[in-house]
Amino acid sequence: MGSREKIFADLNSVKFDQRFDYPTYAHPNSSVIDPYNSFTTVLDSVGGECHYVKNYDELKAKLVNFEVYETAKNICSCLPEIEKGNIDLNLVEDVHELHNVDLAIASGDFGVAENGAVWVNGDKLKHRGLLFLAENLILVIESGNIVNDLNQAYDLIDFENTRSGYFISGPSKTADIEQCLVIGAHGARSLIVFVIQGDK
Amino acid sequence: MSSHAKEAAAFLADEERVHWHDQALWFVRQKRDTASKNVPAWEELRETAHQIKMHTLSRLPEYLEAFETKASEKGVHVHYAKTAQDHNETILKILNSHNVKRVVKSKSMLTEECGLNHFIEKKGIEIIDTDLGERIVQLLEEPPSHIVLPAIHRKKEEVGELFHKHLHTEKGASDPTYLTQAARKHLRERFLAGEAGITGVNFAVAETGGITIVTNEGNADLGNSLPPLHIASMGFDKIIPRAKDLAVFISLLARSATGQPITTYTSHLAGPRPGQEMHIIIVDNGRSEILQKEKFRKTLCCIRCGACLNTCPVYRRTGGYSYKFVIPGPLGTVLAPHKDLKKHKSLPYACTLCESCSDVCPVKVDLHQQIIEWRAEIDKQGQLGLIKKAAMWGTTYLFKHPKLYRTLGKLGRIFLRAMPARLLNAIPIWGKNRDLPEMPAKSFSALHKKKLKQGGNYGK
Repeated sequence: MGSREKIFADLNSVKFDQRFDYPTYAHPNSSVIDPYNSFTTVLDSVGGECHYVKNYDELKAKLVNFEVYETAKNICSCLPEIEKGNIDLNLVEDVHELHNVDLAIASGDFGVAENGAVWVNGDKLKHRGLLFLAENLILVIESGNIVNDLNQAYDLIDFENTRSGYFISGPSKTADIEQCLVIGAHGARSLIVFVIQGDK
Repeated sequence: MSSHAKEAAAFLADEERVHWHDQALWFVRQKRDTASKNVPAWEELRETAHQIKMHTLSRLPEYLEAFETKASEKGVHVHYAKTAQDHNETILKILNSHNVKRVVKSKSMLTEECGLNHFIEKKGIEIIDTDLGERIVQLLEEPPSHIVLPAIHRKKEEVGELFHKHLHTEKGASDPTYLTQAARKHLRERFLAGEAGITGVNFAVAETGGITIVTNEGNADLGNSLPPLHIASMGFDKIIPRAKDLAVFISLLARSATGQPITTYTSHLAGPRPGQEMHIIIVDNGRSEILQKEKFRKTLCCIRCGACLNTCPVYRRTGGYSYKFVIPGPLGTVLAPHKDLKKHKSLPYACTLCESCSDVCPVKVDLHQQIIEWRAEIDKQGQLGLIKKAAMWGTTYLFKHPKLYRTLGKLGRIFLRAMPARLLNAIPIWGKNRDLPEMPAKSFSALHKKKLKQGGNYGK
């Protein structure tokens, strides 16, 4: 008998003396009142930063003042409307070539106020590894949508058609040495989120 | 046979470290408290999470089959492993079929449980733990001492020395930022050179065939986004029915573990990326036996957040290695006896029954209740030991005879007051590391009687 048969035989022999129905529950909503304000506050508390802009022009004008942008030699941008960059993700054959990306710019679908997370659909990127290899990461929420909590967030995700999707909340971090928080463990050393609140 | 008290002696010898360990973990517990209080419906979430898990456990064949079907449709190779050996051999076979010599692994307590690293290394394949804490203990050739904070027992000076030796950092340097950056550089090279990525699984969704993995460092994501081969190992207890359930569990997990509202990365993967091969190994390794035992099956609800470790007064003061089991703390205490009751029989007694573990558990595992059950089981199997057995018999007898109880109480108060403390503390077992409180002049019964005479008024 193979492992599969053995496991299923054992599981089928387990007796439960009562029924455990799937709970009927209305997922309680968080206490978020002002999602835009909460999103900024929480993202800030986890080491990221959030900026609300009216359109691409305002975003572009702001972007040039950021140190991560000014100092970046290699920029890989998935939003050419904002920044062309010098690495075209779609022309990159092997994800390993992205090892020297200083700044990645990608789009996020929406933000979550209660935890400062941005939902990023990895399927939109030819190489999802970009999100984790880049030294610094900028996510742009073009929809301007910030939901209150995870309950609302999960309602928006189409899992049937998503092979890779991420909640990203702040820059990569660790506290594995004496519980001291260090930003920039393996992934991005910084995260800036732009939320567009107008007609681009 | 090991004894928690004996094993703890080495850790307790360094009082300063014990204090630091205790405080560091208590701080994490406090962060968890703050985070949970920010969620008004916290208790509702816990109850819901518990119910979803119990429902799933009661229908595992159904949900496992659904998961397998969905994941396979999405191009995942799904394997089953009855034992740790089966798990390791399955992984080796996959690695060999791709001629893999370099593996990058992200945190997975299951692979620790199965002893995967040792097994793979013996076959001449390099396997690098990429979580910073895990890398530290791997270089130290030690197991993790905590399921979420693997190197919590080590000080930054020790990490500095270790990195000086292996990663050529400056001698004497112990700044956590500097050391972390050195590890980042070192591990980046390994990530880029990795031919296969092995990860754990936090949740596997039956409805979608997808898995969810959480990290703060991003190591699991580099591990599965770069190499052409991704192998994910999971116990069958990681199954949840629907994607929407993630809203409940993700809300609870990081808050309970570290007090964060969510981890930096919460990754949802369903099927390989283009050009990649993805394998999922579903492991039993004793889980179905636990499921058979009604009194213990709730353990399988566990989402491995580590909150019960952080809050445990015994774990905080004795460290992970005192438990001599892959998982320490209250969770390890209820898991270990399933593997070998005789070997781990001291663990259910390394507990004050304060019940804090059950109180903080985000999925309401009845940890303290199970610890009591194990004590009964240990007695039933004749493993209690003469001294404990005699003490239990004596106490039972005493509680059944009130007159004798009162007389002995009176004598005890006189005797203990008269005897020098040093003599008492010399009595092994009890007197070691313990001071008796000062004996009151009157017993509780005497005080109570007096109060009753005065009209039973206890003030206010």
